[in-house]
Formats: sequence, C-alpha cells, structure tokens
Amino acid sequence: MRRPDSGTLLLLSAALLAAPAAVAQEEYVIGVAAAQSGGLAPFDQPSFAGFQFCVDEMNAQGGIAGQHPIRLEVRDTRSDMAETVKFAQEFVDLGVNFVVGPADGDPTMAMGQITGPAGIPTMTFAGTAPILTQVSDYVFGSYPADNQQAAVLASYARELGYGSAWLLKSPDAAYTLIGPEYFGQAFQTLGGTVLGEGSYTMNQPEFSAIVTTIQALDPQPDVIVTWAWEPDFPAFIRALRDAGVTTPVMGADVLDTPTVRGLGDVVEGVVHTSGGYAEEGSAHADFNARYLAATGLAADTNYHVNGCDIVGMIDAAVRAAGSTDPSAVRDALADLPETQGIMSSYTFAGTDRMPLRSVVLARIEGGQKVFIRRGLADPAIIPAP
Amino acid sequence: MHQVTAPSPFQTVTDAILLAAAVALLMGAVALVFGLPGQRTATLFGVNLCAVLAFQVFSGNSGIVSFGHTAFMAIGAYLSAWLTMPASMLRVTLPNLPSWLGGHELPVLVALAAVFVLGLGAALFSGVPVARLNGASASIATLGILIIVYSVLSAARDLTGGNRAFYGVPRATGFGLAAAFACGFVLLARLYRDSRWGLMLRAARDNEPAARACGIDPVRLRLGAWVLSGGMGAVAGALYGHMLGAFTPRDFQFDLAFGLVAMMIVGGMGTVTGAAGGVALIMALQEGLQRLETGFTLGPLQVPQVFGLPILGTSLVILLVLLLRPQGLFGDRELTLPARLRTRQAVGTEGMSRPAGGTRSLRLDAVTKAFAGLTALRNVSADIPPGRVTGLIGPNGAGKSTLVNAITGQLPLSSGQVTFGTERLDRLAPQDVARTGIARTFQNIRLFERLSTEENVTVAALAQGVPLSRARDRAAQELDHVGLAGMAERRAGSLPYGARRRLEIARALATDPAFLLLDEPAAGMNPEETADLARRLRSLPAARGAGLLLIDHDLPFVMSLCGRVIVLNRGEVIADGTPEAVQRDPGVIEAYLGTRASRGPTARQEATPPPPTEEMTHAPT
Repeated sequence: MRRPDSGTLLLLSAALLAAPAAVAQEEYVIGVAAAQSGGLAPFDQPSFAGFQFCVDEMNAQGGIAGQHPIRLEVRDTRSDMAETVKFAQEFVDLGVNFVVGPADGDPTMAMGQITGPAGIPTMTFAGTAPILTQVSDYVFGSYPADNQQAAVLASYARELGYGSAWLLKSPDAAYTLIGPEYFGQAFQTLGGTVLGEGSYTMNQPEFSAIVTTIQALDPQPDVIVTWAWEPDFPAFIRALRDAGVTTPVMGADVLDTPTVRGLGDVVEGVVHTSGGYAEEGSAHADFNARYLAATGLAADTNYHVNGCDIVGMIDAAVRAAGSTDPSAVRDALADLPETQGIMSSYTFAGTDRMPLRSVVLARIEGGQKVFIRRGLADPAIIPAP
Repeated sequence: MHQVTAPSPFQTVTDAILLAAAVALLMGAVALVFGLPGQRTATLFGVNLCAVLAFQVFSGNSGIVSFGHTAFMAIGAYLSAWLTMPASMLRVTLPNLPSWLGGHELPVLVALAAVFVLGLGAALFSGVPVARLNGASASIATLGILIIVYSVLSAARDLTGGNRAFYGVPRATGFGLAAAFACGFVLLARLYRDSRWGLMLRAARDNEPAARACGIDPVRLRLGAWVLSGGMGAVAGALYGHMLGAFTPRDFQFDLAFGLVAMMIVGGMGTVTGAAGGVALIMALQEGLQRLETGFTLGPLQVPQVFGLPILGTSLVILLVLLLRPQGLFGDRELTLPARLRTRQAVGTEGMSRPAGGTRSLRLDAVTKAFAGLTALRNVSADIPPGRVTGLIGPNGAGKSTLVNAITGQLPLSSGQVTFGTERLDRLAPQDVARTGIARTFQNIRLFERLSTEENVTVAALAQGVPLSRARDRAAQELDHVGLAGMAERRAGSLPYGARRRLEIARALATDPAFLLLDEPAAGMNPEETADLARRLRSLPAARGAGLLLIDHDLPFVMSLCGRVIVLNRGEVIADGTPEAVQRDPGVIEAYLGTRASRGPTARQEATPPPPTEEMTHAPT
C-alpha cells in the first residue's frame, strides 16, 4: 500500500478544516403560506412574487444577515382557512425560523394562534386590520394599518377644509366596514362631523338607492369616504356621478389600481391612500426596474415591493438579534427602530407590532396617479384598534 | 314448500359498523403512514366528513341539494366558542358579549351536546318553509337561510365580532375527537338512511305522488331530516371552529358550502358510503396535487411550479366523475358485507290472509272535475261494494284515470263527494286517503326507482305504521305472492316491464288495503303475463277481504275478473252492470266503435259480446 505524500496530507487537512465552516452555513427556514388561488390570490400572489424575488437576491449575497441561506417552505392556502391552519401546524412541526402568512387579517390570526405559542415569529403579507397582532406577541403586521391610513386621510380632509363627511360601509368584510369607521373617528377627533353612513353588500350591482339617500342629505356632506373596492367602487362612483352628485370622494389603498384609474371622468379628483409611490430615483423605482429586468414582468402593485420589504424586515431583525433564534428574532423585530425599507421606512419599536409606516396620499387626475404627499399618521388621532 | 325470507334486522347495524370501521381504519392508516402531517390531514378529513354527512342526511335522502347547512355550522361554531372560551379571553375578543352567554369554560363535549340541541332547534325553526318545497325551489330556500344567518351573524357584532376575526377559540379538535365524531356521524347517518323515516323519505325522493299514495307525508319527513341534519351540522361547525381557532361568519359562507356539496355529489349523495368516498377522493387529490404544485423532477424532466394545481386538478376530476357517473362514484351502493356473509331470516306465511276492511263500500256522489274549459268528469255516481272486483272501462279520454285520481286525493273535486264507509275522502290529502285503507297503482308505473324491490314494498307497509321488522316480513310475503321473491334485492329501476307492474301491485297490497284501485295493471303485458296476473287478482277479494276497482282496456281481462262493470264515456257513466249486459249495451258499443258501427252489422250481433278490437284492447287512456 502506498503511503500518502505530504501534498495529499496538506489537502486533506485543509478540507477537514474547511468542513466546519461549511456546516456553519446554517439555513434560515421561512414557512410561507399564501393563497395562489381563491379570493386572496390577487394580494398574496404579488406579495409572494416580490418576496421570492428579494429572497433570491439576498441568497445571492449569502442569505439572511449575509450568512444564512434562506430556504422557503411554500404552501398554497387556496384562500382556505382550514388549509391555512393545517400549514401553520406543519410549519411548527418543521421547526421553521419564521412564518409569513396571507395578506389578510383573519387567516393570519388563525395561524398566529398556532405559531405564537410555538414561539415562531409570524408576519402577514399585507393584512391591515390593526387587531391582528392582538392574537399573539409573536404576530406582526407589515403594511400600514387601516387606522393609520384612516388617520392620514382624515388629516388631509380637514386640511382641505372639509367639515362634514358621509361614510359608505359594507359589513361583508372587516376592511370595508371598519376602515370608514376609523376615518370617522379620526375626522371627529379633528373637529369634523360625520353626517351619516350607508351600507352596501359586496358585489351588489346597483347603487341608485344609496345615491338617492346621498342626494336627499341636507346639508350635503363635504366629502364621501369609502373603503369599497372593485367591483363595488366603480359601480358606486358611476351611479353617483351619473346622478349629478359632485361631492368629493376619498378612499383607501384598494383604489390604487389601473382599473380604477381607467374609469375616466367619474374618478377624476378621487383621493386615496397608498402604501407607496415609486418616485423617480427612489429605492422603490429601482426595485421595480430590477424586478422587470429579472422577471420580464412589471411590479405593478405595492404588494410586490412590500413583499420585498418583509425580507428586509426579517434580515434587520436577525442582524439586530445577532441570532436566528426565533424568540430573539421576535424580540429584536418588536424593538426595531425606524429602518429604511424600499416602499417606505418602518418602525416597530413602541407599536403593538403593527409597524408605523408612512402613508402615501394620491389623487387620480387624467387617468394617472398623482402623488400628493407621503407622511406618518399623527399618533394622537390614530383610532384604537 | 319454498321458504320466504327477509333481510336480517341486524343487517343495517352490521353495515353501519362496517362503514364506520372503514373510516376509522382509513384515518388511522393516514395518520400512521404519514406521521404528523398525516394526522392533521386525517383530522381535517374527519371534520369534513362530519359536515358532509350533515348535508347528506338531508340532501341524500330527500334529493334536495342543500347549501344551507353551513349556516348551522356557523351557529354551532359560535355557540361552542362562547361556551368553552375562558372569560378573560372573551373580554378581549368580545367585550360586549352578555355574561350569561359566554365564559362558562365548559368542557368541549358538554358544549357539543348543547350545540346539537341548539342546532335541532334552529333547524326546526328554519325548516318549515324548506320542507314544504321540493327540487330547485327548496335548494334556493336553503341558500336563503344561509344568507340570512350570515347577515345576522355579521350584523351581531357584540356577539360575533361581525366580520372581524373572532379569535381565542380553544383548538380542541384533534385527531381523536375528529375520528370519534366521524365514526359516530357515519353510524348515525347510515342508521337513519335505513330507518323507517329514511326509507320513506327516499321513497318520496324517488316518486312523491306514489309515496303519498302509499300514505307517506313527504313534508313531515323532510322536516325531520332537516332537523336531524341541522343538529349534526351545528356539531360539525363546532368541531370546525375548534380546529380553526379563529374565524368570521365569512368562513361559513358559499365557498365552504360549495366545497362540501362538491365532495358529497362526487362520491354520490344518495349514500353514506358515497359521501365518505367523496371526501376521501377530493382530499386525496388536493393533498397529492399540493405536493406537486411547487414543482418536481420526473426523471430527466424538471416540472416547474404550477400554483393552483390542486383546484385545477380537482375541478377536472369532478367534471369527469359527473360526466361518467352522474350519480357519483358510488351511485346508490352502500358498503355492505358480501352477499355470502349476509343473512336472511325465514318469514312465516301468517298474515297473508288478512280479511280487512270488508264492509265499507266506496261511494261516489255526483263527482265532477273540470279543468278550465274541459269537464273531465260529470256527475259520476256509483256505489262500489267491498269484497268484489268491479271493472271500470271506457274509451280513450273517458276520464277513468281522472276518476281514480279524484278518489285518491291526487285531484281535488270541482263538486260532488267521495265517501268510503262513513268517511269523506274528497277533502283529504292523498296520504290521508291512503291511510283510510285505499291503495292504488298508476297507469304510468310509478316505482321508487332507486330503492330495491323489497324496499319498494317495505316502505308501503311502513307508511301504514307497521314496525320495520314486520314491514320487511310483509314485503317478503307480498313479493312472494306476486312472484318477485327472486328479485327482492334488485334495484326497482332495473326490473323488466312485467315485473314492474307486479311490483306496483305488491306495493299497494303491502298497505293492507280495504280497497284497491288498479289503473291498467295489465297494460303492456303479454298474454301469459296477463293470465298470470288475472289468476293472482282473482283470489284477492276472498283472501284479503279487499274490494277491487279494476281499470283496463283489455276487455277479456276485465270481463274475466269482474262481476260488475262500470263504463265511462266523456266523463259520464253510460253503463253499469254485469259484463254480459254491458257488452250488449248499444251505448257502450257506440262509445267504443262509433255510431255507424252500432247501427250496422255489429248492432245485429247484440246477443254476442263484441270481440275485443285493437281500440278496445290496446289504446291508452
């Protein structure tokens, strides 16, 4: 038998020394439960697309905190609560480091009831109900909450001199019901008056009865506020303008879509909130360009960039914790001071884990989204969840 | 002497236990083979199965597809949550919930018992309008109930939180609880299906007029099934709520209802086995395709991720199954022991000679029935005696079947009255007429097509209040009497024509009638079958003490059986007498053969009964 020469021994020694370094490349496992089909897919799909894109970018740089390659465990919830719950349990069994859940409060809360007690930090893709974090100390929001958006919109309404508002709500979803109520509370805190409110059923095709009610108001309100989205908002605004009612209308971030902007004259002047705005030269615009170049698809919603920001939030928390331990990461994330994101900056410190993020105000003019301003809600007027 | 046998009374119980054991085995195997993920899938299967069986108990037995049972699920989920949640948690999630309603921290099983009772009550309250309807109208009514309950739960924000997620509900539904309830629900649904109520409801599902003619009240039976299934739905909803831990009224809306209904229909909603099979198939497909949707490698082929694959694949399979097997995968077949292991017990022949009724005659007084401008019956009067065979003949459109329908309550009279003994029949519903002791067959055979031959007859005896085991014995006897004992377990819809006619007669006889109205029982039969039928009918009055009113076109058949014949033409009685007298009656000859014939050569042959013509023997009424 031939004895190994000294060169071979040197190579073997180097390999043995290098092995522990390779083992130290501990994976960071993120369980992602998002709807790729069903009612939540329009929000979860772009959120996940942006998230995946930035995970790939981060892995190219070494992973989370530059040293932990990210491995995703992706599950399609099909917008089904039972499936969502099942996957939450599966993520606990798998011992994932972090969980990202659907862009809606209800399934996120159902997940949080399972992942929270298991000590796994859990973040919603874009759920905006401020109560969603109440379910567990381990549950986090990522998008500007409804009450923040309502407070920013109410402040702007008062600045425009509006003294009275009429609210259009739907009890069919927490978002469409409670969003206008948050606006009303903030508006009244600022001295405004809520003249009344109307109720619609989601997907109702006809709004003439509601428009007649508005026409009969005496005095007429200065502004009409609704959290309605498609197809209800287009049906409502057409009926309103066709009836000759010219009262200004304000809405929430769901109006930030090409479809709404394409409605023509009836939406001229409509003011709405938005999670972000890709000003020229901004990080947001840069993200959009990178995404387009890499995928050939336009990142045409704020959910794309917010998905990317979630990767940044996890990264910032792991760096701050100096560890991938879920409890340490949770604590670090909850105490995260103002941090620059891509869509906007965010602050978790001092909040109930719904981040304080700037809200964009935009106006529809000539079928375009025109930037008005970007700002944080005044904590003094943010309605309680 | 051959032995008459009936199914063992323990057969249903054995079959129910067999199916429950199969469900338990499947759940256990999935949990064992696939570990923790398998256990969770099995838990979800158990909860889904409970919910689908709640649908099946009503829809499968009544034939009305319900979408409304998720309303009971929602009610059950909220009630169980209120009863089991800690008061401290309720103060956070539902601060305005009345203290008497929540925070009792009851054990889940106690809460589920309360949920079942409330579900029964809610279903009783909501079931009255649904039970009165049938077909698509009833389905739409169930949708209405779902929408109403959803709206109330959404609006009752103090009680439910409205459409904000209601969280903090104890996650008590684990594998054991789900498996126990799934097996329990299988037993309950299976035993109900073969109970007297389930059997009668399935008969009404297959043919409501025939069921009513046997004495079955479909409205009461539908209400009963709705109430039971409402209780089951509420419990299934509570289990679902305790599995989710957080929910809103939206989680019990159309998406859930359509998903559960799809599972039930794919498997075959007519059977408990079908419902269970549908849940298993759909869930297996979804689980399997879910594993593939993130992409996979197949040899050299790298298949990319295709999100939405579970919904796409499942929808395709549903379409395929419904295309190839419209009654669902399992059709009307329940999981049962193999035929060689099933036992039948001997039935005595006592009870076959039951002199019943006997003394009551059927009296028609100036019976008139008009349809808009057409008077189908005009002042028909007759006294039809018990214990004899009376014939009713007449040419096409004479009003014979209309008269039978008027006697049995299928058609309300325009004027006149029908009396049986001292009892007025013309104000009674068909099922109440049947309970006075009047049975009938139909011109167009009306069987309970999806029931077995022996079930067709059993159900008629059940409708008269006979206990199930005795009803089975009686069915076996009647089938033997009409020569169908060898076809007892065959589906009625698969019987040859002559056997179908005989089955209808056996079914009518199983009600132990005092009076039997046979509407063209020999229609479509060949001469041998007709002769055989005549032989069997001839012995009936003496053996049963029953009166017979026989309607038929086959004059030799009628003449050979009847001591008296009534002839109807254009809604009026034109002759009433012995067969010989009737055949010589010029009015009868004219009615059948026309004016010229009555004045021509045929009129000269009055002493000889006219030979049956094509018109007289085969023309339908």
